[in-house]
Amino acid sequence: MNVIKAVQLYIENMIADAGPGMKMLMMDRETTSIVSMAFSQSEMLQQEVFLFERIDSGRSNERLKYLKCIVFIRPTRDNVLRLQTELKSPKYGAYYINFSNIIPRTEIKALAESDESESVRGVKEIYADYLPVNPNLFSLNIPTCLQSLNWNQEALERSVQGVISVLLSFKFRPAIRYKSSSSTAQTLAKKVHETINKETALFSFRPPEDGSPPPLLLILDRRDDPITPLLNQWTYQAMVHELLTINKQRVDLSDVQGVPKDLKEIVLSSEQDEFFAANLYSNFGEIATTIKGLMDEFQKKVHDQKKIESINDMKNFVETYPQFKKMSGTVSKHLVLISELSLQVSKQQLFEVSELEQEIACRADHSTQLQRVKRLVTDEKINLQNALRLILLYSMRYERHANCGTSGLLKILQDRGGRAHIVPRMLEYISTSARQELFNTVKITDAVKLTRNLIKGLKGVENVYTQHNCVLKEVLEEVTRGRPLDASYPIMGNELPFRRPPQEIVVFVIGGTTYEEALAVHRFNQDGFKIILGGTTIHNGDSFIEEIVAATAGVSFKHSRSLQQFHHAPAGEA
Amino acid sequence: MSNPFEEPDDHRPPAYGGGGGSSTFLLHPSDDSEILEGFLCPICKSDLKTPERLTAHVEQQHSEEQALLKSLKEIYSLAKKKILNLDETATDLARSLDNSLQVVGGKQERVPVVNPILVGDQLVGTDCDHSSYFKAVRNPRLERYASETNKLIIRLDKLLDGLPSDVDARKKHEQSKVPWIDGKLVKLCPSCARSFGLTRRQHHCRVCGSVMCDGCSFHLSFEEARAIVQPVSPGGADSARAVPAVQESSPKDHDSSGFRVCEHCLHLLMNRKEMQDSRSDRPLITKLYDRLLQEKKDIEPDIPMYSKIIGSLYEGDAIYRLSDASALREKIGRAAERIDNVSKTVLAIPFTQGSREEALKKAIRLSCISFIKERMLSIPPLPVEDEIKKIQLRKKQETARRIERERRLALEAYERYELESGGGTTAGTYNGSSSSSTASTAEMTNGRFYGPTTVTGSDNWTSQQPAGITLSSSADPLVDQINIVKGYIRQAREALRFEEVETLERNLSELTQEFYERQRRRATATEAGTSGQ
Repeated sequence: MNVIKAVQLYIENMIADAGPGMKMLMMDRETTSIVSMAFSQSEMLQQEVFLFERIDSGRSNERLKYLKCIVFIRPTRDNVLRLQTELKSPKYGAYYINFSNIIPRTEIKALAESDESESVRGVKEIYADYLPVNPNLFSLNIPTCLQSLNWNQEALERSVQGVISVLLSFKFRPAIRYKSSSSTAQTLAKKVHETINKETALFSFRPPEDGSPPPLLLILDRRDDPITPLLNQWTYQAMVHELLTINKQRVDLSDVQGVPKDLKEIVLSSEQDEFFAANLYSNFGEIATTIKGLMDEFQKKVHDQKKIESINDMKNFVETYPQFKKMSGTVSKHLVLISELSLQVSKQQLFEVSELEQEIACRADHSTQLQRVKRLVTDEKINLQNALRLILLYSMRYERHANCGTSGLLKILQDRGGRAHIVPRMLEYISTSARQELFNTVKITDAVKLTRNLIKGLKGVENVYTQHNCVLKEVLEEVTRGRPLDASYPIMGNELPFRRPPQEIVVFVIGGTTYEEALAVHRFNQDGFKIILGGTTIHNGDSFIEEIVAATAGVSFKHSRSLQQFHHAPAGEA
Repeated sequence: MSNPFEEPDDHRPPAYGGGGGSSTFLLHPSDDSEILEGFLCPICKSDLKTPERLTAHVEQQHSEEQALLKSLKEIYSLAKKKILNLDETATDLARSLDNSLQVVGGKQERVPVVNPILVGDQLVGTDCDHSSYFKAVRNPRLERYASETNKLIIRLDKLLDGLPSDVDARKKHEQSKVPWIDGKLVKLCPSCARSFGLTRRQHHCRVCGSVMCDGCSFHLSFEEARAIVQPVSPGGADSARAVPAVQESSPKDHDSSGFRVCEHCLHLLMNRKEMQDSRSDRPLITKLYDRLLQEKKDIEPDIPMYSKIIGSLYEGDAIYRLSDASALREKIGRAAERIDNVSKTVLAIPFTQGSREEALKKAIRLSCISFIKERMLSIPPLPVEDEIKKIQLRKKQETARRIERERRLALEAYERYELESGGGTTAGTYNGSSSSSTASTAEMTNGRFYGPTTVTGSDNWTSQQPAGITLSSSADPLVDQINIVKGYIRQAREALRFEEVETLERNLSELTQEFYERQRRRATATEAGTSGQ
């Protein structure tokens, strides 16, 4: 169960369907991202795909009849209309049409009626309708999916399509469970369930013969775990996303000083970059060690290369050149990244910030923590984003505390010019169950956790910067152990619940998932489970705050009346 | 409440100690064929003889680990202090790198990314083919269009046949071939829905005879009309690839140099023309590209073959020779050169700057470069001859040693047997006890087998045999066969068909094996005869 592999297989098949010869690929905005996540351009060249064209922008009217045109587009109305125009006066010799999701029959009829010169060779649906980020992680790239704390209709439709396509990629007809307290999760679960029942022909997979339980689709809500995206991260991929932002595998370094020109935009793909693939989940310290080793090895090679004295040396140089060049690219790329991360860590004093973040997230100790938050928020060296995040975490944990000091902290933040109005919105954003479960210290599981932490602490393997466990991890523990789930995660439809834990699990987080959660899933998979994680998007702290702002726009303040003076953003800011 | 899935760390120490006893109980085939059983420590691999000692050892090992963890932890807190006190302006790259290095102690858990679950074979997901439905909708429509277009072409042909050059006469000619619709019946232009009058006059489509206004009419030149009626030969197709020749021309030359046609007819006719063109149209770039494809296809199987030959040479096998590898390498090199040249020719085709074709040829060139670089130039270098010789020698010696060892074992067994049975040889008892040294068993059964002096015997045995071939006359069909196969091998080698070389070599070795067998049997028979005397 590898989402990158799934998309690669689909696309390879799609290209192979067009047969040998010169080919071009016509895509739309979204499918362009999907293809670029799975293949590099040179890999496409090796499959004889030489030209790329966007159906929705910048099309030339040059006719190249000797080219085969592979069309890979989402099944939207606009795309079909554009394709109809294209087919009425075809620029290319033959068309192989692939839709990335289920397309209504009427649209196919409309297309067929437009193909007057008989240039279409095939029409197919392939279900690569999601961005494969890591082998176990996909995203739908919907930056904000809620409106007044309910589904944005477009985002809902896209999410249904995305989830359906992941299921079809793996031939799953799953049991669907959703967080019962979340209305958005219920809506999505219902829609997916309806689609599966409507498309019976597509979902007619034979159930496993040994009577093992069907795969599980688990739909969760970000509003139940608003803490995870707010924490600073210490594993490589998560850290890069947190501090530099990864957008569809690309990191923009154009604002960073002293970066060589060719590294202004870095591609971080676990498929094309072995070093990255091996160190995706390594922590900051390890990665520095590894890169130092890589550098030593590289320098040794450079040193070797310098001693070109005989013709034989030259020959050897040429023969090892491709690997040499590749390696030098990898080294310089990760060196730039690591040094920038390291600079940010010391500049933003992230060790101190992160330690306090984790403290607040993991245990209650009001007076000490308030003091520490106050000290850091006041500290000019701590930037406003980190100050805001600390206050967000504090305000969530101590919302009902008698001596809650949120408004005092917000005053300090406001005086420093920070976005204090985010905090009341966050308190509106988080769900009731987050309120009840996340910070409720008297829960038994918490006591267990506490003991466990104590044991860990004694053993000395605990890292203060990664002690927080995301809610997803706890949920998955329940699921994989076959605990009864029906109370908080009921099954959609009238399928009988299986007692045994499912073999395969697809988790979808409405409101975006995080790389920390991807790491948790990865650890489960290492223990032999088959779990895929996806979300409407992949958040870091900043993007999550934007999602909150969008989701709570126009919502009346119920939980944060005491913070009335901070309800509205200062003029000039949304 | 502790659970193995959740906290693997908690369980590691007992798992090491407990598991150590059972899982490390290993069988070791040793050189003198005595089977060793050991309680091996999983960490340092030393044999500890008893489970008790092993457990003690592992516990010790474990405590060492604890100490390691502790010390790392100390390093970590030190590093943290250091980093937090870091001068903010320290942007020096080396220094920041070193700083981050010091955090290493922070976390011992390392997460390897390769996941066994995710690595396994994955099949392509579901898909859904709509082609048949698409065609079911499209094809009847296309047939209708085709018959309509054919009708138009027949009319066009009639119109062009004996076309008068005089405008008035031409109009009559046109009307005689195609019945025009009565203009009085049409009040509005069918395509723009504006009424006809003094300023907007009626015009007729010369092909279908329908009425439209001037603005909605199009112009089909006589040359184009002729090209549609009589498709040009492929040679002249290049001109047809130029910009679509239909333009909305001014009304003045409308009637003088071509036919006035309606949009519908023009569309049908031009579609037909385009299909004809694209069928006969084979621009230079496609021809060159086909050549590239052919070159790549031809050389593709040779690349893994070369690696195989090199591998086999390093193994010390005698199937391939060094000269084979170098010949194949040269062939690959030449193919690379050809691909390079063709792709350069593609790059040299002149296209308009910034056009898609320009991008296309660059992409083709790029793909060829990377194909050459990654597939063809990345092949391993030729091994040095001396090295190969050394390897072959070593292999030979190894084989000799193995044979000797087997022989000695067999001898020991034989002696033991002799002791037990009180002498007496039974031919065949040991046959097959060591299949790879039939020679030694054969000699042994004759009881003439003493000490290491016979070691050289085995080498002599192999080297003497070729002489045997020449001795035994070509009357032996086996020898003839061997010679034929050798000839084939030579031919295949010259033609660089190395798959054939491999199978033939295998054949040859089977044949020679058979031949030696026979020789030996004959020899032993005579020997037995002589010793019996």
